[in-house]
Amino acid sequence: MSKIEEIRNFSIIAHIDHGKSTIADRILELTETISVRERRDQVLDNMDLEREKGITIKSKAVRLLYKAGNGHQYTFNLIDTPGHVDFSYEVSRSLAACEGALLVIDSAQGVQAQTIANAQMAIENNLSVMVIINKIDLPTANPERVRDEIKKINGLENSPIFLTSAKDGTGIREMLEAIVQYIPHPRGSNEKPLQALIFDSVYNSYQGSIVYLRIVNGMVKPGMKIQTMSDKKNYEVTETGIFSPKRKKVDRLSVGEVGYLTAGFKDINLTKVGDTITDADHPAEQRLPGYKKVSPVVFCSLYPVENEDYHNLKYALEKLSLNDSAISYMPENSPALGFGFRCGFLGLLHMEIIQERLEREYQIQLIATTPSVVFRVHLKNKQVIEINNPSSLPESNTIDLIEEPFIQLTMVLPSQFLGGIMELVQDRRGVFKNLEYLDQDSTRLVYHLPLNEIMLDFYDRIKSISKGYASLDYKIINYQASPLTKVDLLVNQDVVDNLSFICHKDKAHDRARKLVENLKKVIPRQMFDVPIQARINQKIIARSTVRALKKDVLAKCYGGDITRKRKLLEKQKEGKKRMKRVGKVEIPQEAFMSVLKID
Amino acid sequence: MNVINAGLYIHIPFCYAKCPYCDFFSLVAENELIKENYLNALKKEIKIYSQKIPEIFIQSIYLGGGTPTALSGQQIAEILETCYQYFRMNKDIEITIESNPATFDYEKANVLLQSGVNRLSLGAQSFSNRLLQKIGRIHNKKNILISYHIARARGFNNINLDMMFGLPGQTLRQFDRTLEEVGQLHPEHISLYALSIEPDTPFEHLLKGGLLKIPSDDAAHEMYLNAIDFLNEQGYEHYEISNFALLGKRCLHNQLYWKNQSYLGLGAASTSYIKNKRFKNFSDLNQYIELLYYDILPIESQEVLPLKEEMAETMILCLRMTEGLAKHDFMTRFKKPAEVVFNQQLKRLKEQGLLDASESHYFLTKKGISLSNIAFLEFLE
Repeated sequence: MSKIEEIRNFSIIAHIDHGKSTIADRILELTETISVRERRDQVLDNMDLEREKGITIKSKAVRLLYKAGNGHQYTFNLIDTPGHVDFSYEVSRSLAACEGALLVIDSAQGVQAQTIANAQMAIENNLSVMVIINKIDLPTANPERVRDEIKKINGLENSPIFLTSAKDGTGIREMLEAIVQYIPHPRGSNEKPLQALIFDSVYNSYQGSIVYLRIVNGMVKPGMKIQTMSDKKNYEVTETGIFSPKRKKVDRLSVGEVGYLTAGFKDINLTKVGDTITDADHPAEQRLPGYKKVSPVVFCSLYPVENEDYHNLKYALEKLSLNDSAISYMPENSPALGFGFRCGFLGLLHMEIIQERLEREYQIQLIATTPSVVFRVHLKNKQVIEINNPSSLPESNTIDLIEEPFIQLTMVLPSQFLGGIMELVQDRRGVFKNLEYLDQDSTRLVYHLPLNEIMLDFYDRIKSISKGYASLDYKIINYQASPLTKVDLLVNQDVVDNLSFICHKDKAHDRARKLVENLKKVIPRQMFDVPIQARINQKIIARSTVRALKKDVLAKCYGGDITRKRKLLEKQKEGKKRMKRVGKVEIPQEAFMSVLKID
Repeated sequence: MNVINAGLYIHIPFCYAKCPYCDFFSLVAENELIKENYLNALKKEIKIYSQKIPEIFIQSIYLGGGTPTALSGQQIAEILETCYQYFRMNKDIEITIESNPATFDYEKANVLLQSGVNRLSLGAQSFSNRLLQKIGRIHNKKNILISYHIARARGFNNINLDMMFGLPGQTLRQFDRTLEEVGQLHPEHISLYALSIEPDTPFEHLLKGGLLKIPSDDAAHEMYLNAIDFLNEQGYEHYEISNFALLGKRCLHNQLYWKNQSYLGLGAASTSYIKNKRFKNFSDLNQYIELLYYDILPIESQEVLPLKEEMAETMILCLRMTEGLAKHDFMTRFKKPAEVVFNQQLKRLKEQGLLDASESHYFLTKKGISLSNIAFLEFLE
């Protein structure tokens, strides 16, 4: 147990690739939490995917012992946060478990969109922010410019600034000393009833959900009866422990400390991030502030390429959701694609990560449909329903209005790309809100626009227009009514449910035409003409035709050829078996994939 | 002793030049010695089979290639002499030889006729010198006409012309003119093939590289339909997907294939099908020659066809012929009616308008012939 005055709880927050994990590695080494022998770069990022993408997906915590210049030994609890906008709620709860934050900025790249978003979140949580200008060993480093940029960010004007190179270790020791000085120790009382903040949880098949928590008041130890305050359910604590960095049992967790507990939680959904754990016998009067239920904002359907993989997919989704309560999935059946799931995610990155994990860790080839936001549909009968799949939009004559989620989009980019980027965002129904110069060259641009508009190829376009220099961050601000319309795609008069989409009515024709043309390219000729149409309500707005196949014949077949010709036919048959059917029309899966990929 | 009626195929793998679309096994002989060695191996193979399958009763002989007439008349005569010596033959036997118009002359015509050849198949392909050159043929229009007339003059009364359509740069009009010229010669038999781009041929590479332009599938199909109409008017019976004949002049040998009957294939790379056993010779000439030198049959692979596959292949092959599959023949061969074995398949094909039936036969419709692959797929597992 540590004295509360000698505890420092802090997070490291940064834009992607600015060196967060490398700084964490150096801290771990300097505090001798891990030996050099154990060292593997970016110790805190466990998953292959995290290492590859250079981002943290799950929160992590580690306890470090630091011998300060004043001779005292301090307990540092470093909480690593997910590094992406999709996980901003998790980030905010991780920050709520801390008193301070190290805001890491790449000295060559300067302030980026996520730097600002992270800083604002830290400030909202009343954290003491230390600014770390990292990578000063780079030849392109420009710490002075970065200093100027920081001064422009609200709330950071007076933050202390440190220059480091996590790569060669420069400035790290000074930074650790400063943590002791600048970041306040936790406050709270061992005497008050237990209040512990859940900032993450992982699932373990032996122990159930393992809860990562910060003790705000009171203490907790094995055998104690506890309660999760959001649902008032009681459990008995089976184990308490700390991270060093592996899990290590301790006999209790006291006020100000960060650690884990297990209490036979059968399901990760029972331990919601942001919830408060209290003493069931002497409950706290109030929950800690800031709890909210997280719900998915982006949906898509996932179908196995091989029908037989359906059960594997189901198993994999069950497994993944054990550790990720933000995934939702419902069985779905499509005439064209077979059996699959409608899945909900926190955002596009979250979606991408889950798809990649399904393909990599579970080796399931997937067809993913175009992602959709959640629309709020006001019916004429005054009912309001939410739909996450365009094909489930009710008949237009029953609809009063449709609302869609809007985001505040913040971008940081060199001013030379402003024109191109503004044109793109404007074209995506963006409403200009603010533009400011962080320095001569770097600008911060704020827009409001529908989330739906960034579902397709937005990131790629931003990247290509700005040659990779623009960074962006967004948060959902509200729902607003928009003139939206549903477009159905018909192949040979049958609606292909997975290709229906909802978009602004001004854009419907253009997108419909492109989709029809793309479909025409990928649908093989059948024995009859196949009309391809795009339709709004009963009105056809685009059409094309795949002409009937006239000839499919092998000219020669004599004695020596028979085996070979049969093999050719067998191959053709194999391809045919893999076709999906829309009414009478056979469409190869690759066709769906290529159509779904294209904007 | 049960008699096995069979055709005899003899492969002559030599050519003067390799055509850039051809994927048959052939090579340009470097010297005369290899031809001699090959001939000796072939004779030995004939002898071994005549002892190994004595019940075989030869109904037809087909000398194919490559270019059989790349051999001398004398060499061809020797092969046939050996066959006569060792095999039992039907007295009305059909003996076909394939020939390239540039390798056929008066002398050869005489020797061939004397040695018993009674059907000549000339690889004419086109009457346009421009197109012949484009597809890498070594002959020209003049060669075709001379060969044809020599053959006629010497007494060949059963001549086939191999023709092609869908050639690079070929137009519908050009093809119509070619048909006119074929009509004027009026051979007994015409084989008409669509150019198909086979894997690993020079044409495939050219096509992929965008260096070869061939008519679209639809254009080629129109040529095909025109040809059927034209040749029908000229008195030809369209009796197989790619074959046309005057009355009584169908190719007996090829009909054995399409009726899925037995045939013995001799020579490098050739395939045999005796009862339900299929086996294939080595393609490599040296291997073929060496094994036979040691009196070993040069068989590379063999398979015994399961009943289901034999039935499927019988359907597929018979349906290539316009008269189709004789219900009675199927019943006799498999002791089960086709409509029982392939009930669902036949029903579906009828619904799709690809197949029709008479009292005695199942046959492909006009649409079914054009889309025959789609029809055939039904019979495969």
